[in-house]
Amino acid sequence: MEEFQRKLQSEVENFKLAQKELEKVVNSRQQLDGQLNENEIVKKELDLLKAEALVYKSIGPVLIKTDLVEAKQNVSKRIEFISKELKRVDDQINTLEKKQDTHNENLQRLQQQFQQAQVKAAMKS
Amino acid sequence: MSLISSNEAPNMQQIDLTSLNIQQLTTLKQQIDQELNLFQNSLHHLKSAQGKFNVSGECLEKFTPECEGKSILVPLTGSMYVPGKIADTKNVIIDIGTRYYAQKDVNDAKDYFKRKVVFVTEQMEKIQMLGLEKSKIRDAICEVIEMKIQQQSQQAATVKS
Repeated sequence: MEEFQRKLQSEVENFKLAQKELEKVVNSRQQLDGQLNENEIVKKELDLLKAEALVYKSIGPVLIKTDLVEAKQNVSKRIEFISKELKRVDDQINTLEKKQDTHNENLQRLQQQFQQAQVKAAMKS
Repeated sequence: MSLISSNEAPNMQQIDLTSLNIQQLTTLKQQIDQELNLFQNSLHHLKSAQGKFNVSGECLEKFTPECEGKSILVPLTGSMYVPGKIADTKNVIIDIGTRYYAQKDVNDAKDYFKRKVVFVTEQMEKIQMLGLEKSKIRDAICEVIEMKIQQQSQQAATVKS
């Protein structure tokens, strides 16, 4: 009986750990998604600008004049990078979800066994 | 500022609500409540963004060539100002996101803010539609839960009598 409880407890802990991990990854996914959207909006805006338009980039408290072409390239590169990151995080979410599911199944099985054992113990006494 | 797709997960399954037990229904309801909360938050953020764009656009209406040479107070920090004079009334510099700023003439700038307001409004409408759908689902779930509870109590009553 005691061993059972220990097993159950460790499984619960595993489950909680997996849950936390998943939550973290989902959060970073949301962040990346937001960044991707923002960059895409900026890219659209840069595309709308005339070729001779002045573009600045803020670095800390100062604005630095930037070349429009360079800015476009920079944003495109960022979009590419964030898309790759998104794919990576998506894969991570998939594996973590699977992991959580197996933990959940284990937990349910253990709970059932635990209940059965309790019923048995009650019958004996 | 995030884009919202109106077509949600394409592999969504249709589930008959009555086939779920009360526990499953409550977890589902919790999930939907969370989503509705998120929608409410997003709407709030969008509303404030919309307000900011609107104010900027209105500000440009008053930014006419007659303003040239007029003195203004330039904020150095949130609570400290220095006097200045407007030298250029034709161009403004706009924050277009991700730390990029673009110089635009007043007309382009007005157009920019108009576009932004339209964009944000569209996003808000999308969220409102989604929220409406979700709250419909939520209502349906609540109904089914109530039905199940009534059934259970009736069953308990017949067993007793």
